[in-house]
Amino acid sequence: MRFEARSFVELLAVKVRMNLKAEASRTYLSFLWWLLEPALLVIVLYVVFSVFLNRGTEHFVVFLLCGLIPFQWFSKSVSNCSMCIRSGAGLINQIYIPKVFFPLVVIFQDLFKALITIALFLVFVILYGMPLHLTWLAIPALVLVQLLVNATVAIFVAMVVPFIPDLRFLVSTALLLMMYGSGIFYSYKDVLLEEHQAIFLMNPIANIIRLYREVIIDNAWPDWTALLLISLVSVCFLCLFSWILHRNDSRYARLVLE
Amino acid sequence: MIVENVGVRYRVRNRLFSHSYFDALSGVSFEVNEGETLGVIGRNGCGKSTLLKVLAGIYAPDSGRVIRDGKKVSLLALGVGFDLDLSGEDNALLSAMFLGFSYSEAKSRIGAIREFSELGSFFDEPMKTYSTGMRSRLGFAVAITMHSDVLLIDEVLSVGDAQFRVKAETAISDRVSSRQTVVLVSHSGVQVEKMCQRVIWLEGGRILKEGDPKVIVPEYEKFIQTGKVA
Repeated sequence: MRFEARSFVELLAVKVRMNLKAEASRTYLSFLWWLLEPALLVIVLYVVFSVFLNRGTEHFVVFLLCGLIPFQWFSKSVSNCSMCIRSGAGLINQIYIPKVFFPLVVIFQDLFKALITIALFLVFVILYGMPLHLTWLAIPALVLVQLLVNATVAIFVAMVVPFIPDLRFLVSTALLLMMYGSGIFYSYKDVLLEEHQAIFLMNPIANIIRLYREVIIDNAWPDWTALLLISLVSVCFLCLFSWILHRNDSRYARLVLE
Repeated sequence: MIVENVGVRYRVRNRLFSHSYFDALSGVSFEVNEGETLGVIGRNGCGKSTLLKVLAGIYAPDSGRVIRDGKKVSLLALGVGFDLDLSGEDNALLSAMFLGFSYSEAKSRIGAIREFSELGSFFDEPMKTYSTGMRSRLGFAVAITMHSDVLLIDEVLSVGDAQFRVKAETAISDRVSSRQTVVLVSHSGVQVEKMCQRVIWLEGGRILKEGDPKVIVPEYEKFIQTGKVA
């Protein structure tokens, strides 16, 4: 039995909407938390870095958030995906469903929340006193490219963890390493040796964070070549992983019960 | 629907790099004719549930194949994809879509599901406010309302209070006596003898006997009591 493509897309859209609805219904302030949570983060960072520490670097809070917001989006998508197929075990054993459904739900649910956070962040940047600039028009392109990167890594993790459950622990370690290796708290140009910078930028998340900063802080157009290269590599791997997942689709029903 | 020489082998993980195998089904072949009710009987662990999962497309057979001719085959399962934070209506919609129906098809059956479930105003409340009986009533209402071409039923369902159980059993036997194609799996011979036109007896993952329930079921019952095949 196979799902029709249209029914599958509709189901995906309804499931994402319902998950967001269910998530909102679990707290008193419901969907306000999608605004409040990032807003609280901004306040904490503002107080710590601009008031307490009085860091010399100009716009340090904005610099930090340019790194932290994209990274948190990536990190949440990947860690939420690591268990997504296993937590769908009940469903997988009741009906036939293409397993790519589970990571896709997580990816789109996180995308929705990330969009709210990014919009709020841009409002903060304007309130902070940085002028709106034409280069901001490149932000949707950056978001789209990051979505591709997130999806590629998230689908890979979702696909592999059910086969080797122990990898779940490595995922969180890898994300921690990524956090320190993506230049969230520092500028790679100041910290790294000239010859190491190219290697550093091969990490797509580090590269995208750099591009966000170029656009939002330096008001420059992003490095289009880098952006194109990241998209191409991501799309290739995304296709490869989706194909492998599709080929092994029928193995998961038994795998999640083992 | 034709089942050809189907085998399913489970891999049991003992330690790192150490596995043993267990054949849940081997060399199973039969046909399900359109409009008939086929019974499958056998003891616990004989491979009945595995067979249903193979028929529903949840498991892929390790050998052999199942030919479905583009028919929609689904397991009568309760509470597919239910989320306790969502209302009965939202859950019914989602559940119907998980069974493979499009948004508009699912939406158009919501009224029928609401009516069958007898939940009244609770239908619009979050499911966490439901009692266990109410949950299974909603689950059953979705499962029985969203028709598929071949319906697979595993054992007798226990749903809700006595009154609703009667309604559920009536709905199932209506389905069974209509032109609906049904595969009914059970370890109870009585039910199979009452409802099915043909029966398959599974033992140790193989078909032991196949044929008229009036002949096979008494043999099966005798086997259960004495442990010997006549």
